[in-house]
Formats: sequence, C-alpha cells, structure tokens
Amino acid sequence: MSYTQDRHKILVIDDEEPIRDGCKQALEKSGYNVITAKDGQEGLKAARENHPDMVFIDLKMPGISGMDLIDILSKELPDTISVVITGFASIVSAVEALKKGAYDYLPKPFSPDQIRVVTKRGLEHRDLKIEARKLNEEKKFMEKNFITFVSHEMRSPLAVIQQYIESLKLIAGDKLDENALSIIDRCEKRIQNLKELIEHWLDLRRIESGTFITDKKNLNLADIIRKATEDILPLSQKRGISLKINIPENIPEIVGDKESLIRVFVNIIGNATKYTPSGGSISISEKHNDRYVDISISDTGAGIPKEKLPFIFDAFYRAKDKEDKHRGSGLGLTFCKRIMDAHGGIIDVSSEEGKGTTFVLRFIR
Amino acid sequence: MATKKKILLIDDDRDFLMATKLILENGGYEVFMAEDGKTGLEMALSISPDLAIIDMMMETWSEGFNVISKLRSTEIGKSMPLIMLSAVDLQGPYQSFEPPDEMPSVDMVLNKPIEADKLLKYVAQLLKK
Repeated sequence: MSYTQDRHKILVIDDEEPIRDGCKQALEKSGYNVITAKDGQEGLKAARENHPDMVFIDLKMPGISGMDLIDILSKELPDTISVVITGFASIVSAVEALKKGAYDYLPKPFSPDQIRVVTKRGLEHRDLKIEARKLNEEKKFMEKNFITFVSHEMRSPLAVIQQYIESLKLIAGDKLDENALSIIDRCEKRIQNLKELIEHWLDLRRIESGTFITDKKNLNLADIIRKATEDILPLSQKRGISLKINIPENIPEIVGDKESLIRVFVNIIGNATKYTPSGGSISISEKHNDRYVDISISDTGAGIPKEKLPFIFDAFYRAKDKEDKHRGSGLGLTFCKRIMDAHGGIIDVSSEEGKGTTFVLRFIR
Repeated sequence: MATKKKILLIDDDRDFLMATKLILENGGYEVFMAEDGKTGLEMALSISPDLAIIDMMMETWSEGFNVISKLRSTEIGKSMPLIMLSAVDLQGPYQSFEPPDEMPSVDMVLNKPIEADKLLKYVAQLLKK
C-alpha cells in the first residue's frame, strides 16, 4: 500500500515554541505536511479536524495532559500513530504512554535526523497496521457472506452456459432444425432445474446457519399471499388454471419473517400450479380462532398417493412422475417445513388421488 | 454508413465475455473486452466507449464497484451509460450480501444470464438517452 501520492500529515503538540519550530522545520524538509499546536486543547482540536497520520505529543503540558491526549486519540483516531516527546527524566512516563497506545517515544533533546527516523518508522508501522486491518475486514466479510459467495461460484458457470445458449439461438437459431432446437430447449430446462436445486439447497444451508430468519415482524398474511401469487400468476394463467384467493384484508396478524414466508407460499402455490391440469383451479382460504390462523391451499390436481404422503417433506423425496415432466429440486417442501418449524407453526397435507391436494399452514397468533 | 457504437465489456469470466460479445456484435455494436477491473478502466479511458457493461464480482467481491466509482470520477466516465451485472440477485431478499455504503451510480443492474433480446433492448434504450 502506498501513500506517497498524498503528503503525510504530521501534528506536533508541544508548549515550547522552539521545539515546535524545530520539529516543523525538520519534517517539512522531508516533504511532510506539518501542523503545530501549543497545548493539549488546541492539539486535540487540530487532530479531530485534520486526522493526522502521525502526532508528536509533549507529555508535560498545561491543560489536557499528553497522557490524556494519547488515551483519547488512540480511541478516536486509531489510524493515527502517536509518539511522545519526553524529557530525559521522565522515561517512566514514556513507558506508561506506550502502554496507553503510543507507538514510540522521542527523548529530548533530539536532532532533526532523529525525529525523521522516528517519523519514517512510525508511518511504516501505520501502513502495516491499516493493511492488516483491511485484510481482517475482508476476511470477516468473506465469512459473513460465505453462502452468498458459494452461491455466486455455483451460479456463475450456469449463467455462462445460459448466456452461450442465448447467443447460439440468436446467431444460429434460424439455421437449426426442430430437433436441434428441442435439444437446446431441454438443455435450458435442465439448467433451470439445477439452478433451482442450488437455490433450495442454499436456502436450507441458510436456515441451518441461522442467517435466514433474522427479521421477525408483525405480518399480514393477505399481503404475503398477494406477493407470492404475483410471481405465480403468469404461469397459472398460461396453463389455464384459475387462482381463487379468498383472504380477508383484516386477517389477524402473525409474527414472522416476511421474505421466507413469501418463499413458502411461492413453493406451495407453485407446486399446486405444476400439478394441476389445465382447466383446474387452486383456492386459497383462511380460518382463524384466538390461538391460530390457518391458511389452506387446495388444488384440483392429480393428488398424492396415500403411501407417499408421509414422506413428501423429506429432502429429495419425490412422488415419482411417470412422464418426468414435473421435475423439481426435491427440496422445496423440506424448505417449507423447516421455515414453518422455525415459526413455531405446522404444515399439514391431505390428498386424494385424482381429486386434488390440500396443504394447511397453521400459524400461531 | 454510420459508425458502430462502441461497447466495453468488463468481466473476469472469458466465456461470459465471449457469449455476451456474440450477442452484442449480432446487434450491430463494436465490442471491446477486458478481463479485469484495472484493464477495463484503462480501456474505458482510452477508447471512450458509448456504453460499458461491468461485472460486479471479479477478482474481489467489490471490484466492479471500484471500477464504476473510479470511472464515474473521470470526465469520460462521468455520464457514460453503465450496466452492472451480477450472478447474485442483488434485489433478492435472501442475500446476506451487503452492498457498500455508497453505491456508485449505474444506469441499470442486470442479473446473469441475460436473455439476448432483453440485453439488446436495454442497451439500445440506454444509448438513445
């Protein structure tokens, strides 16, 4: 790290004018930008205004003592290096100053060369200190955002493949026959599935690491459901499925994490949309008493075989579909259950083959 | 014949650069590529493109931000239309990612991958301004 472009700012605080002038001359000769102050009060003000890289402080001054000043500066301006100027007799106080956070001391009398050497060393120490702190901050940032970084690493190659497919379709789309185009189409679908899988897996990791449900607030479920259905509406319309939502605006509030609950409803209603044939319907309704609020999501889809019902919340369990067209990540319902658990709620399912499936989400009031 | 508009792509993924370059060239643009922030910034200042597309996470998590704020502080980059790209959904509610306190100003943020027709549409929109 280099600070050579900016002139280093040095503050000299000493009540003796000849010392101030001597320091100023010696340091300005080396190209530093020097500010001086005649006592602790003035010195503190100058330090706060100028944020010097380094400050020389006389220990024996009227008013705010040098020792107090070191104490304040090491807290307020941790990047400022302080060096105490001390008389030969007060080595003991110089040691105390070092304990309080001063970097070095300069015994009186000193030569211009001596102060320049101390300054150079102090500034080098400062650069190292700042660099170490930045590295440490970067490391902490990486740890905190670990899942985001993993997600980035996993998604990037997929994004590249998708981008290549996009360019391929644009450049050569009109030269490809139906078979080739359908292969591209299948590739895109499988990439999409893999992305979903990564997404869901990361969600589960976030739940486990406790970074998912961080923000519990009073929530209106009508809002949550409205937001969730916004995402699904285009798909259900395209598939000719009617979405009937019957949730009163004045539904009792619950406490929860908005974003994860939206995701739960997107999952459940999205599933219903996937498994309901065109012309079918999905109804969302509400029931509550003074202890809980139930939301039911019913579809007129294929239903889930009885023997499979107990396992649908298990990770990677999928009610096998012969046509294999409803491929999901196998983690969606696991995610929903974990989120409901984390809210102290319950998710329940009932289903009849050929008639449809109903999921009930129970929230504690 | 009108000269082609120049677009600079800055991304550390060579494949992503290639794929995006193909799309933009097909849309009639002259495309320049840089594989890291430093080179990208130098190219932006030397060729003065009509628009730049910059990846957010390159060598470091915030390289894209750095490039953009440095570019914005120059005469050439001050009002250059900029698109920031990310493989992480920045608007997504589930990201623990915290953007820097001072977000440099970009004209558009897009998530990877970008559909070809959308990319061309957005680029054309920004160039018209």
